[in-house]
Amino acid sequence: MREAGLSAALLYTSFARPSAVAWLTHFVPYWNEGLLVVLPSGAPVLLAAFSRRMHGWIHSVCHVGEVQSVSHLGRAAADFLQQRVPGPSRIGVLELDALPWLVAEPLLNSRTTTLADATSLFAAIRQPVDDTEIRLAQRASAIAVKALDSIPRGARRASEVLSTIERSARLDGAEEVLPRLAPDLAADTTLRRLEGDLSLGERYAVELALAYKAAWIRVARCFSKETPRSWLDAQEWTSDWAARLNAGPPAGPPGEVAFWCIEACVGSQPLSVVASSGAARTDIPAGTLACLSLRLNLADGPWLSAVPVVIGGRVLV
Amino acid sequence: MSTAPTGLRAERRARLAAAMQAAGIDVLVVAGNPWRSDYLRYALDLAPSEGQVFALIERKGTARIFAEHPAEAARFHSEQPDLQVGWSVSPIEEVEREVRGLDPGRTALAPLAAVPYRLAAGPLRPTMAPATAMLDGLMLRKSLLEIGAFRRAAALADEGYAVFREAARVGRPEYALVADVEAFLRSRGCPENFQILGAGGREVRGMHPPTERCLAPGDLVTTELTPCVDGYYAQICRTLVVGAAGEAQQRAFAVYDEALVAGIAAVRPGATAGEVARAQNEIFRRHGLGDYVSSEYTRVRGHGLGLYVDGRPAVLEDVDLVLEPEMTLIVHPNTYHPEVGYFVHGDSVRVIDGGCEVLTRTPRRLFSVSAA
Repeated sequence: MREAGLSAALLYTSFARPSAVAWLTHFVPYWNEGLLVVLPSGAPVLLAAFSRRMHGWIHSVCHVGEVQSVSHLGRAAADFLQQRVPGPSRIGVLELDALPWLVAEPLLNSRTTTLADATSLFAAIRQPVDDTEIRLAQRASAIAVKALDSIPRGARRASEVLSTIERSARLDGAEEVLPRLAPDLAADTTLRRLEGDLSLGERYAVELALAYKAAWIRVARCFSKETPRSWLDAQEWTSDWAARLNAGPPAGPPGEVAFWCIEACVGSQPLSVVASSGAARTDIPAGTLACLSLRLNLADGPWLSAVPVVIGGRVLV
Repeated sequence: MSTAPTGLRAERRARLAAAMQAAGIDVLVVAGNPWRSDYLRYALDLAPSEGQVFALIERKGTARIFAEHPAEAARFHSEQPDLQVGWSVSPIEEVEREVRGLDPGRTALAPLAAVPYRLAAGPLRPTMAPATAMLDGLMLRKSLLEIGAFRRAAALADEGYAVFREAARVGRPEYALVADVEAFLRSRGCPENFQILGAGGREVRGMHPPTERCLAPGDLVTTELTPCVDGYYAQICRTLVVGAAGEAQQRAFAVYDEALVAGIAAVRPGATAGEVARAQNEIFRRHGLGDYVSSEYTRVRGHGLGLYVDGRPAVLEDVDLVLEPEMTLIVHPNTYHPEVGYFVHGDSVRVIDGGCEVLTRTPRRLFSVSAA
């Protein structure tokens, strides 16, 4: 912030965009929204649309200094900045373009404040991660793997799979569980959010994104009564890629690489695409906590996988 | 995948097209995300679970979708092959480019709750409030198909609460109760449930996401449980005691039950949301608990339900929205009680001619579970 000449930074948080504020304070507003104000010194201040009676809960689950209950986030932020950052000032806003209009409008109307996009600044400090975050991601990964391991071998219905995953992951402490399922790989490889129920085909795939203490990971696996030899080859190739992950797929895949993407947390979204088969890049910093997702077309059908990794050397599952 | 009845999707789309025509809108740009998916759900039956999503909806039929995540784009296309779907790490820029080529006099942007700054700062800014109001009007009063989905969600809320009661045992952490409920709901094909809870005594001032706190004898355990069926959320609020209810807990329950009855009795076409709130609050005032219906101790005395878990109207004394048949809401006099702590009690209702139909059927009791 000092180098960028910022008098303060504003970070918006909501259920849909929790990760930046969670990284700084461990606070997730769930059904509400908030703005974290980071000043050059002192603990960050949380402006939140919660009533004061929720302050005890907020302080019990996160690391913020002052908490202010406000009825209108944007107006409250404008007032707060006028009091705490008097005079002409340049305020950095994470993901300014995406800031909800109702929050942004009062800030834009301020006569003394200039808003600057702080997305790149934040991304530059967000990764690589520290050992604590890696351990949280390892724990999240272990929860996900155990949940997938708990799927009954003879499962016939999507609801059976999803129920099993949900129970296992939540009993292990996952606070968010986001499954997608391709119920019949012979028919369609699309990972779906299911409403209602469907029969499972002979081969199906499950993708599970989950959060443990705000650390998000994504794991995906294919299921079949018998594990085909081709899947073992695909797994080996994928593990090898993941262990050396810093760019596109290595030579010699066991089938056509139909799609791949690398996601990392670089802003307010838990996982954002930072490289993909449509837009490869090679400058992801070593030590970045990421998830590699891919789809291979093998000789005997499609195969999907997703694995959490630390770029440059560690696979977490 | 969305398995909402095809009729429901087509019906909403037809209502939207008619409203767009009446408002002189050829293209409606709708923004959404995993929390505010309600407007996208209404317009196109899309339910984002990751990233931002934007839809450019032409009144005469086609719709283009701009998603932020490739898996979401693939899913939308699979669910509705007639949609033109793409993904980009910066969908806002893509939409902004598209909007430049549209007639600003015949294009509108909504909803206010989800539109990002960059789009709102453009030429469609004056359209946001009226377009949001247009969609709100469509979403407030439900069709019979929508009521059917809401009714199924209410029945599932009842079943979910029965699971919650079974799950509430001494020594179990709060998150284990939610695990049991969520597992049950997934087994019934329900993709989402909004649930918060609280456990303890006078120190508990509200509900929150589950923590690691373990249930103890004498705890009041509150929850609001809100499953989603075909996109429609219904809610139930109940309180249970771990062990036998004490005298103060029983006295408190009697007040909340009386307030809930009074609130539900006030729900009828022509009444305002404020009158429903006042009917509940008057009970507290009559019992000397008037301080506890202020914002210091409570939020709302109920709220609208439907495609969003916390919709319009907010049931507060100063809200003058007039209730109409086929609106759906929860009435809940949830607030802090100085003798026993935070207490919740509420039912989902449908406004009908002459009154309302209560759709959640769990008995209004202060439930008790074993303290052993």
